[in-house]
Amino acid sequence: MSKRWAVLLLTLFAVLTFSPILRLQTAAQQAAGDGASKWNNIAPRKSTYAPKKSSPAPRRDLSGIWDAAGLDGGFQVNGAAEHPALLPQKGGSAEAGLESGAGAEGGRPDEAGIEHPLPYTPLGLAALKANKPSGPGVRQVPAALSNDPLDQCDPMGFPRMELFELRTFELVQTANQVIYLNQWYGNWRTIWTDGRELPKDPDPRWNGYSVGKWVDDYTFVVETVGMNPRSWLDHAGRPHSDALRVEERFHRVDHDNMELTVKIDDPKMYTQPWLGINKFPLHLLPSDFDMPELLCSPIDMAEYNRRISNSVLPSTPKK
Amino acid sequence: MKFLLALALVASGAIVSGPLFAHHGNASYDSAKTVTVKGTVTDYIWANPHVFLEIDAKDNSGNKVHWTIEAQNPLSQTEVGWTKNTFKPGDEVTVEIIPAKNGQPFGRFGVAGPTAGLATQKSLIVINGKQFKP
Repeated sequence: MSKRWAVLLLTLFAVLTFSPILRLQTAAQQAAGDGASKWNNIAPRKSTYAPKKSSPAPRRDLSGIWDAAGLDGGFQVNGAAEHPALLPQKGGSAEAGLESGAGAEGGRPDEAGIEHPLPYTPLGLAALKANKPSGPGVRQVPAALSNDPLDQCDPMGFPRMELFELRTFELVQTANQVIYLNQWYGNWRTIWTDGRELPKDPDPRWNGYSVGKWVDDYTFVVETVGMNPRSWLDHAGRPHSDALRVEERFHRVDHDNMELTVKIDDPKMYTQPWLGINKFPLHLLPSDFDMPELLCSPIDMAEYNRRISNSVLPSTPKK
Repeated sequence: MKFLLALALVASGAIVSGPLFAHHGNASYDSAKTVTVKGTVTDYIWANPHVFLEIDAKDNSGNKVHWTIEAQNPLSQTEVGWTKNTFKPGDEVTVEIIPAKNGQPFGRFGVAGPTAGLATQKSLIVINGKQFKP
């Protein structure tokens, strides 16, 4: 009798001890891109990079697959990370209908009361109010009432691709270009490094016109103009005009780490420049990391709107 | 064995512990409540912008109620262990969801995390008698 109990206890002990390790192993294999799955890899958590000692940064080299999210960040669903459209955190658990720190539903026409307000001009504030975001924040509206271009599968645009869902992207360096291949909604942009000047009064592009140069061996600075004003700056609906200039600073810290800073300079909409992200940490992924695809299908979007968005509006009558 | 209904309204303030990780905010959903839906899967859509589940359940009087419940996009769902094969039509499921404010049979799966962007699967999901644990 005692032998059977011993076997049972040992089995239970083994299962409890080893099953979490097995699960961790699978996740790590997926993350590393080797072993179990070569495809649709999931980036490891930010915390796995912390204790790792990295080798020195290569000179004048940004190339590789970079990750900002790793299940820990990069999503920026409340707006650009330096200026989330959130009320200051209330202590304790969620109040009825209101997540701690999140905005009231559709209740506010402007961003009064958020922790890091933006310096809008009158034109900028009017443009902000015209944008109805579906994402969580002080000005959110139900998805079916949103006019977010992304909710209709319009292009993400630049710099929104770095101020919203900055997850995984690949940088490819050629003799005269740095090419930025973005996972989220699968867009790419070209940064010219051949010394050409930025265009004057160009036709608007969703992704703008970019030139870049190394200011030292480890810092690459990009200037972008000519961005289509139809794009939003971030998920909170911050606007921009055709006067927008964006500066990116990619700073290669060491072999596995890079920091990205994005400066927004739009004198028509904002009284002074502001940082959307500031030294945002990026981590180098293995060179065989397979980025899962996420594209926006207008047909799937319309189906979602038909089945769900319109059905959860407050005014939808009971069938 | 009687197959009894399912719809239990449980008031719970603990389902969301931090800023919601989502593309769509919770404007249409009552995040202070959870509802348990039990029934048979009729459809499982693995697509952008939202993965969603269609379930035939029953109300208190035994009438059929059809529920539509959304999750996040496929990439985010993969990160919490879902795949395109997690559910299939005919599966008997019990799921905890956040209901729509307008009282219609729509809801979303709860996600929460200690920091913005960290998604963890908070909703109870039972598929064919087994609790879903990725």
